[in-house]
Amino acid sequence: MSKLTAHRKEALRYHMKQYGTGMMFMLPWIIGFLIFVAIPVGWSIFMSLHKVAVVPGGFQYTWLGFQNYKDAFLKDSIFPIEMITYFQEMLLMVPIIVIFALLIALLLNQQFPGRFLFRALFFLPVIFATGQVLSELFTQGAGDIPFLEQYNLEPLVRQYVGGELALTVMEVLGRIVLILWYSGVQILIFIAGFQTISPSIYEAVRIDGASPWDSFWKITLPSSLPFISLNMLYTIIDLFTFPMNPVLAHIRENMFKVNTGYGYASALAWIYFAFIFVLIGIVLALFNRSLRQRGRRS
Amino acid sequence: MIARLRKLRQVSPFQIVLVTVFTALAAFMSLPIIFIFSHAFKPKNELFLFPPRFLVQHPTIHNFEVLLLHASNATVPFTRYLFNSLLVVSLTLFSVIVVSTMAAYVLAKYKFHFKGLILSLITLSLMFAPETVSIPRYLIINGLGLNNTYFGHILPSLASPVAVFMLVGFISQIPNDLMEAARIDGASHLGIFTRIVLPLSVPAVATISILTFQTVWGDVETSTLFMQKEAMRTLPFYVNSLLSGLQNNVAGQNMAAAAGLLIFIPNLIIFLLFQRKVLETMVHSGIK
Repeated sequence: MSKLTAHRKEALRYHMKQYGTGMMFMLPWIIGFLIFVAIPVGWSIFMSLHKVAVVPGGFQYTWLGFQNYKDAFLKDSIFPIEMITYFQEMLLMVPIIVIFALLIALLLNQQFPGRFLFRALFFLPVIFATGQVLSELFTQGAGDIPFLEQYNLEPLVRQYVGGELALTVMEVLGRIVLILWYSGVQILIFIAGFQTISPSIYEAVRIDGASPWDSFWKITLPSSLPFISLNMLYTIIDLFTFPMNPVLAHIRENMFKVNTGYGYASALAWIYFAFIFVLIGIVLALFNRSLRQRGRRS
Repeated sequence: MIARLRKLRQVSPFQIVLVTVFTALAAFMSLPIIFIFSHAFKPKNELFLFPPRFLVQHPTIHNFEVLLLHASNATVPFTRYLFNSLLVVSLTLFSVIVVSTMAAYVLAKYKFHFKGLILSLITLSLMFAPETVSIPRYLIINGLGLNNTYFGHILPSLASPVAVFMLVGFISQIPNDLMEAARIDGASHLGIFTRIVLPLSVPAVATISILTFQTVWGDVETSTLFMQKEAMRTLPFYVNSLLSGLQNNVAGQNMAAAAGLLIFIPNLIIFLLFQRKVLETMVHSGIK
């Protein structure tokens, strides 16, 4: 009996030690996270429920409850519309970017002369995808593709996808350039992901008579599922925190307006955030399910 | 020569198509960079051409002269901003890498309390737009007395959710067997971390370095909000303040173009330094 408790004690100690090590490694990050991310985010919830006014020597909070949130939908004439259009656009952009990145990564994974150079080139947009450079380029008109107007594609698109969606499709087409520039990190993640698949599996299926087409669907795609979900998340986050995003611009604008102020801007941010959260939740749930199914089968 | 020709002949039609398609796409991808470079060397009359021209016709270095002359008139010398920027960027980069890899390692490979909570917090905080937390952050920095110190620049970007998020994905791909083998051979937790996990996650670390460098190098928020002394501010802030005063000014446009290039070049250098490592595949690392 005493031997058993000793055993249990030992096991407990082992577990505590492992937990302790985990916590030790986490500690610096947790402290930084709490102070500079968690507390500010919590603070912004607090502010979203108040009217925040800047007075000499600090801030003045007046309790409003959910008034800010109600105003966002009922009084604000720009926010809901802008958010919905942006979400429509993103729902189309995210899969396109991920699929495009997957295709490019597949091609870059082939053997051909100079592929190192090309890999570097495709990753290059990462370094100017943020901030000033991009907006400068767009104002200069470098982001448009001329053939859209030249060949008058709009009626054609309208005919095939219907009036409501046509606008969104056209916008996405107009952003092809953006898609190209925004898939650098995703391509990289995919290429790295492909390296984790052992070449001997490909060899085995080739000997078994599978065509490259089969081996893509049966091996490459299933094994890169975790990377697809990683990329989906990354793309969603990347696009939704995009500096030229109209919704964020609207939030920023409200931040410094006298009659709305920081409290209202925080409320808008939280609404926006809630919608993204739902979207990400759906993506994660879908991928988790397919991953679990795969795990059960193998 | 003959050997090379023979090698060319071995290239299959598929590869030729591949290379042509990629060359076209790659030319397209590199347009912005060519634009930035040629824009910086445009003389003033070309900057205002309509319709705008993509390439410079009569290159000049006048823009840089104006920028540097303007800079030497300021109260704080240009080099001080540069020094601040370099110090902040290198310290941040180092600490972000250490902190994030440590956190990501245990998140990917260990069991401990609140792990699920932490993971979901990371995903949550990724989505939050940075602008909305800037005022609470200011209050915290102020409360901790970090105003006008280098810590005020470094600490806010230390706990980077993006870095941990990407690293967890990478590190969880490292086979457990490898770590178990090391443990059996008598390696400590720290030993496993430094000898196995770090070397194997070099590609991910390099990616993070590029991303972190970019955000920190171009960041004006910490300088604007947390630094009241001019001598503690960084280069991008200086360039921004230079430009914002001259926004609608015809004279400012050439400085803006030159400054744009100056801010961009370090990004390019870091990219060229790290991209080799980024693209270095895990093939050689013994994972297979």
